[in-house]
Amino acid sequence: MLVYLLVVSWIFLRPERSFDPRVTVRIAHWQVEIGPSSGIAAVIRRYEALNPGVRIEQMIVPPPVYKQFLRTNLAGDNAPDIIEYGTWLDGLTDIPVRYFEPLTSYLDQVNPYNRGTPIEKLPWYRTFADELYEQRLNSPEPGQYYAVTLTRASMRLFCNRELLREITGSDHVPQTMMELRELGAKVAAYAPAKERRIMLLAGSGFNAQFLLNGYFAAATSKLREELDREGFLALSAQQVLGSYLGGQWNFQRPDVVAALHLLAELHRQMRPGYMQLGRDEAAREFLHGDALFIFSGTWDATSLRKEAPFPLSALRCPQLTQDDPVVGKYVLGRFADGNDITMFGFYLNKRAKQREEAIKFLQFLTSFQGNRLFSEVSGWPPSIKQVPMTAEVAELLSPADGYSNGAVFLTAGGSSRALLLRNLHLLSGPTGSVEKLAAALDRELPVAARADLHAIARDSWLTALPQDARIAALGLGISALAETDALRLRQERIEAAQNLSEARAMLIDQQLQRSP
Amino acid sequence: MKFAPICRRLPLALLWLVSLQGATEEALVRVWRDVADSKLPEAELQLSAAPKGDARKVRLTEVVIGMGRPPISRQDFDQYQRVLAELAAGRDELADLALYLEARLFQVHAVSPDFAQAEALYLALAERSAGSHWAQLGLVKVGLIRLYALATPTVPADRLASVEALLGRITEPALKRDLQLQIGWAGLHYRRPLDEILPHLIAAEAAGGLMGITPENLVLQIGELSFRSGKTAQARAYFERFLADYPTSIRRYNVEQRLVGMGGQPGR
Repeated sequence: MLVYLLVVSWIFLRPERSFDPRVTVRIAHWQVEIGPSSGIAAVIRRYEALNPGVRIEQMIVPPPVYKQFLRTNLAGDNAPDIIEYGTWLDGLTDIPVRYFEPLTSYLDQVNPYNRGTPIEKLPWYRTFADELYEQRLNSPEPGQYYAVTLTRASMRLFCNRELLREITGSDHVPQTMMELRELGAKVAAYAPAKERRIMLLAGSGFNAQFLLNGYFAAATSKLREELDREGFLALSAQQVLGSYLGGQWNFQRPDVVAALHLLAELHRQMRPGYMQLGRDEAAREFLHGDALFIFSGTWDATSLRKEAPFPLSALRCPQLTQDDPVVGKYVLGRFADGNDITMFGFYLNKRAKQREEAIKFLQFLTSFQGNRLFSEVSGWPPSIKQVPMTAEVAELLSPADGYSNGAVFLTAGGSSRALLLRNLHLLSGPTGSVEKLAAALDRELPVAARADLHAIARDSWLTALPQDARIAALGLGISALAETDALRLRQERIEAAQNLSEARAMLIDQQLQRSP
Repeated sequence: MKFAPICRRLPLALLWLVSLQGATEEALVRVWRDVADSKLPEAELQLSAAPKGDARKVRLTEVVIGMGRPPISRQDFDQYQRVLAELAAGRDELADLALYLEARLFQVHAVSPDFAQAEALYLALAERSAGSHWAQLGLVKVGLIRLYALATPTVPADRLASVEALLGRITEPALKRDLQLQIGWAGLHYRRPLDEILPHLIAAEAAGGLMGITPENLVLQIGELSFRSGKTAQARAYFERFLADYPTSIRRYNVEQRLVGMGGQPGR
């Protein structure tokens, strides 16, 4: 009884329940790496100092439970006001339309927190280094911006320079896949001599996905051009999946087989069983000096730099060349190893308890001042134009000097991705082979591709259907209100977006009906 | 004897009625604003608390809120369709909207879409109120149905021709643009000759006003399809415009290399 009373007292009297007259805005994200949470905390401190009536609560949710956290809290109307979300999160594609509010009308205006800075006259969306490219590309409602972003990202080969010198006697880093292969051979010869197990690449399922996807896309860039009947110079997931179901490519084609051989090579450069390991284990392998490189996004840069007991470099990805013996004749040219698209996207909860305050905080967070503070403290590249960077941060960005290929053949959707991950083991062991993997993928991809296409169509319908009500309401409003020009423009945009979504869904529905 | 006081009070009563009507309209406007902002629970609450004025508008608004929450149950579908059919019997803008929404019910909200019925309703609306925005929007939907949903015509050229025939009836530039864009894209889907497709894409692009990634896609696409069909000067013009207008595109390098391949400068 005493324990019960103590617990009840603690629940009701604990300090954080004490009356706080400030408005509280909650912001949730999954970035548990070293850097981002400290960066956001620094911005929060500055913002709260400027706005004594507001409290910002940062919620860091571990990645393994983030999807469940999001789904349950949004459904239960208990979600934070500001939420990190990514379009690539499997099983959550319906979330933005249902639960997030477009920020377009705010992004079309200048960000008031940029007053007195070099970007003060730009509309908010144009202050982002990529002008929110990912939102233009993946917005659940074409034409609407749903998120603002905090950083830019590229892919990098993080290198243990000490180990490199120890193995090769040189500081030379690989620029091409052929040089990476040669280095792999040196590592393989060096480790047994020293009675150590050293891999060329630290491995985990998480890191491998980025590595294998990136190189597979680069190795099939001529095929990409061949399949791009629409002339977009990059493939969408819909094109990749539709063309597979239409019989335009499969895993027996020589170019695709060659790309799978490249994957098998990379696969062998990671420790056996890596697919079962998490990214922390890959980082540990690298930090312990058991792997020469770790392939990852620039989001890991701060963590690795802070924890590595050796000098570390963030190298650009070794390129596939046209004289590469495995895939050279199928390669169009250099591939983009980052594009510096801005990411770490924050969305506004449609049912936010503190909507206006949340928007103001997002404006501050992505202002020149706020983003500079975030970048300085987190070590992550800034997402905002003209924000100064240290040389170490600038090293993480790539110039636009390679082909963008768009959606990846292997993982154009959640089901396709799961299929690849389930079958990668077929490359391993004495009986493993590219042929076995290719056969398994061709056996199962028709079903997976249909499921992924169906998901794209479903999301398009989910976007399009509720717009009927909005369009009708705007039409009714126009007949009753004075501000007709603004309402008409809004109606026109929603109608255009609906027509796009609807046409896409209808085309996919037809593709699915007609494909065997 | 009592007539005079009544006469004196009549203007007051009328004034009260007018103000009540104003209050009702104001309340409905708040409801529509909420629906336009996708705040359907709030809209529903506002509507239930609003003073009851124009019954037609209230009934239509109830259906509109219901349609904002797909999927619609069989029972709701029947109810909405009945209400919309009744409201559509009028001859004003509200009736046109009701008829348009009835067609939408059959086209996209029914468990088993009835495209033929939807097409018939859209065409009936276009027949009776050709200039109405709802009729014009309905013609775009007819276009989409003919492009992708109807089983006939089976010959792609005939299918596209039946949609092209609608363009002359659409007078609103934004809606004409939307349909031309879809005709162009459907032409690619059905593997029609590029010379048939390009004029539609060029017209849609020239109309302007598209949002998101579409304007960027369209300029690039016209450049690339022009290149493939041997219209080099046109291709170069669109590629160069792409590089000038979309400095943050991740496909800049792709376009630069295409220009280099054409014997030009990358045009950064």
